[in-house]
Amino acid sequence: MLEVKDLEVRYGRLTALRGVDLSIREGEIACIVGPNGAGKSTTLLAISSVLAPTAGSITFDGTPIHGTRPEDVARMGISQVPEGRHIFTSLSVEENLQVGTATRSDKAEMKRDYDRVIETFPILGERRKQSAGKLSGGEQQMLAIGRALMTNPRFMTIDEPSLGLAPKIVDRVYEVLIDLREKRGLTLLIVEQSSERALKAADSLYVLRNGAIQLAGKAADLQDGKEVHKAYFGFSEDHEGEVMI
Amino acid sequence: MAFALQVLMNALSLGSLYALAALGIGLLFGVLKLINFAHGDFITVGAYALIVPSAATQATLMIGDFHPLILIPCIVVVVVILALIAEFLVFRPLRNASPATLMIGSFALGFVIQNILIMIYGGRPKAVGIWSDLSLGVELMPGVEVPKLQLIIIGVTLVLMVVLVLFLTRTKYGIHMRAAAEDFRMARMLGIEANRVIMLAVAISGMLAAAVSMLFVVQTGILDFRMGVSLMLFAFIATVIGGMGSLVGAVVGGFAVGAVSILLQTFLPSEMRVFRDVFVFAIVIFILLVRPQGLVMSRASRERV
Repeated sequence: MLEVKDLEVRYGRLTALRGVDLSIREGEIACIVGPNGAGKSTTLLAISSVLAPTAGSITFDGTPIHGTRPEDVARMGISQVPEGRHIFTSLSVEENLQVGTATRSDKAEMKRDYDRVIETFPILGERRKQSAGKLSGGEQQMLAIGRALMTNPRFMTIDEPSLGLAPKIVDRVYEVLIDLREKRGLTLLIVEQSSERALKAADSLYVLRNGAIQLAGKAADLQDGKEVHKAYFGFSEDHEGEVMI
Repeated sequence: MAFALQVLMNALSLGSLYALAALGIGLLFGVLKLINFAHGDFITVGAYALIVPSAATQATLMIGDFHPLILIPCIVVVVVILALIAEFLVFRPLRNASPATLMIGSFALGFVIQNILIMIYGGRPKAVGIWSDLSLGVELMPGVEVPKLQLIIIGVTLVLMVVLVLFLTRTKYGIHMRAAAEDFRMARMLGIEANRVIMLAVAISGMLAAAVSMLFVVQTGILDFRMGVSLMLFAFIATVIGGMGSLVGAVVGGFAVGAVSILLQTFLPSEMRVFRDVFVFAIVIFILLVRPQGLVMSRASRERV
C-alpha cells in the first residue's frame, strides 16, 4: 500500500534520513522503532509531505506522493497522529474532531464516524464542549487519534502513542489501534522508541538508527529480540556484556 | 454625569475604530504570523475609492455619490480586492520567509500604496463631505448630546464583532481558520487547504479595513494619503498590549488605547494636549513592562503540557 524507496531527507547540511526503504501492505500494523534522533518522526513527516525528501520516492497505492502538499496527502486517505499530538487547544473537543472532516462532504458518514469515535472514547463525548487544552495527556492522545479517524483514513501513522502516558492508558490506546485494524481494516504505521510493546502489536517491524533501516522483518520472526537489540543499539547484548566487564 | 457620559461615548467610538483595525491585523497575524503594516494603507485606499481619481484639489465624489446600499459593498469590494492582490503579489511569495521578512514586506507594500495614491490623487489632503448629516447630535438624555455618527460607529463595531465571532465559532470555515491560526501545519495535515484559509483571512481583514475606512472618513471628512498610518500604529499597539495572537485581546487593546487617548485628551492641561500621544505611548511601555504577554493571554500560551 505504501512504498518508500531510498528516502533521503536533509535539514540543511544535516542528513536525517539516508536511504530508508519501507514496504507496508494493506491491513497490516507496521512498526518503526529506534533510539532518539534516529529519524523516525522525520520519516513520518516525509510521508505526510510536511518535509520534502531530497531523494527517493514515496508511493501510496502506486501514486507518488512525495513533492505534494500535506493537504493533498490527507485527501488521499493518509492521516497522521503526530509527535506531541498537536491538539488544537483553543478549540473544543468537538471542534477538534470537526476539523478532521475538512476534506469531506459526506454528511451521513461523518456523523457515523463521529459516533464511532465517541463510542470508542466515551470521555471525548462527555467533554465535547470543553476546551481541548483542558484534557489530560491521555485524553489528548485519544482526541488526536479520534481526529485522525474523522478524516476517514485508509492509512494512519502514529508517532509515539505511548509517550508520557500511564501504562494503563497505553494499553487502552494499543487496544484501540489493534481493534481499528481488525474491525475497519485500517493500515497502521506506528513509531515507538521502545520495541517491546510495538513487537507485540506489529505484523512487521523496522529498526531505524542513524537515518537508515538497520533491520526489517516480520515481527513474528523477531520475537527473540537479540537481533532487534543489535540493530537498535549497533552492538549485540553479548558484546555489551564484554564492554561492561 | 452628562460630561462623564460624553467622555465615555468619545472613548467608545474611538476605541471601536482601533478595535476594528486591530481585529483586521490580529486575524492575519493569527493565520500568517504576519504583522501587516499595510493594513492602514488598505484603510486609506477604501476612503480614497469614494472620489474620482484625479489630482484636482477639489474632490469629486464617485462611489461616494452612490446610495449607501451600493456604496458600502463597492468600498468593501475595492479593499478586499486590494488585500487579495497584496496576498498574491507580496505575502504568498514570502510565505516561507521569516516573520520579520514578511513584516518588512508589508511595510514596503504600504509605501508603494501611499506613493501610488500620491501619483493618482496628489499629495495634498482633500475635503470629502459624505453623509455629513450624521455628525448632527442626538440627545441621549436631557443635556447629553452626542453625534449620531458615534452611535453608528459603536453599533457597527458591535455588529461586526458579533458576526465575526459567529463566523469563527459556528461555521466550518471559521473553525478551520481558528485551527490554522493555532497550528497551521497540523491543520494542513488534516486536509485544510492552506491557501484557502489564508485568502479567507485576508479577505475578512480587508472587509474590516473597509468598515474602518468608511467610519473614519465620515468622521474626519478629510482624505490624506497617510490617514491610515496613525490608525494602523494605534491598532498595532492595541494588538500588542492586548496580547498578540488573541482576537479578544485585540478588541480589549483597541478599546483600552481609545479610552486612554480620550481620557488624556480630556484631562491633560491644554498646553500639554499636543503631547497626548507621548503619554499614550508611555502608558503602553508601562503595560508591556508589567505584562509582557499582553492584557489577554492567548490560549496557545496557556496550553497544558
